[in-house]
Amino acid sequence: MTTGALLFAFNNERTDYVKLASWNAQRIRRFLEIPVAVVTDSADHPDLQAFDRVIVSEHGNSGARYFEDYGQSVTWHNTNRTDAYSLSPWQQTLVLDADYVVDSDSLKMVLASDQHFMCFRHAFDVSGSDNDFLMPTFGRYKFPMWWATVMVFCKSKRTELIFDMMSMVKQHWQHYRDIYAIEKSPYRNDYALSIALAMVNGHVLTIPSIPWNMASVLPKDRLVWNGSQWSVHFLDRNNNRRRVNLNGTDFHAMGKKNLEQALADHS
Amino acid sequence: MATDTIITYARERFDHESAKRVMREKYLAKMIFAHAGGLWKAGPELQATLISCPNGETILLDLYDTPVRVDKQELLALSHQRWQEQMTAWLIDYTEMQQQR
Repeated sequence: MTTGALLFAFNNERTDYVKLASWNAQRIRRFLEIPVAVVTDSADHPDLQAFDRVIVSEHGNSGARYFEDYGQSVTWHNTNRTDAYSLSPWQQTLVLDADYVVDSDSLKMVLASDQHFMCFRHAFDVSGSDNDFLMPTFGRYKFPMWWATVMVFCKSKRTELIFDMMSMVKQHWQHYRDIYAIEKSPYRNDYALSIALAMVNGHVLTIPSIPWNMASVLPKDRLVWNGSQWSVHFLDRNNNRRRVNLNGTDFHAMGKKNLEQALADHS
Repeated sequence: MATDTIITYARERFDHESAKRVMREKYLAKMIFAHAGGLWKAGPELQATLISCPNGETILLDLYDTPVRVDKQELLALSHQRWQEQMTAWLIDYTEMQQQR
């Protein structure tokens, strides 16, 4: 069985996702020892040589999304995640956001599992806050949320169904938004995935997920990388400056600008 | 950099509570391991269950409630080894963290 990672990298006017993904590809190879494919529309980007496979694809529909770290709405090309199943060249695929930093071999254990599909159910803020960003539910009816940031899947009928359902939710987003009473209008992969997983599982919510919580760095916090260790600088409840170190922990850098800045400062 | 900014950053402190939480999450993830097609979490609970089983092959539910046929001694040894390794690493990390200011 072939196993590899698949990253989506569609640049917008503010973020060079291909650059982020190429940096991450090296870490994926180092820690997880698997090849990396990228799906992008930047066919002539100089950093594409960092990948084992380059899959050129259109970015699909785009939306504008407000990013706290940029302080403005930017174009968000993130709707073709539902094509991961058909685009992946691997039989077992690890789909990662370009801003999910791999800093350990923990995900190897998930790749060794026999489950058809897995993703994170819970996330936590490394600065210790109970931020709304990381709410484990969505919509007025508090439907449980699974994160599409990291997905591990094998090609199977069940997995194909999950992605087909995600596509259906995406195509009829307004309809599902009404059913689940989701206040914010932009389409979000996490919501589509959660709805799809519930449907495929017959609305029984005992869905296999990655058996630990996803560490997350919120856009409001500053990331610093010294080449071997990450640190997160933040304000606590009393507005005092605090920092915490991340050593050997994978994490989701939710502030793309912060991650880009941290990498630029180090290089 | 402005003097005020320098002073603000100089006053920055290491957050021990958050670091402890991050460390806990990190090592709980490292306790997970795959064996015989199942996923297991190394620790006293799994080891106590295994000790209570007769020697030889036994059937246990893995983390996803899937029944898996395992060799008791083999799984016990793997769990024990991983538990020891990760707890030792956790202690070293924790000791280093306590010295941070």
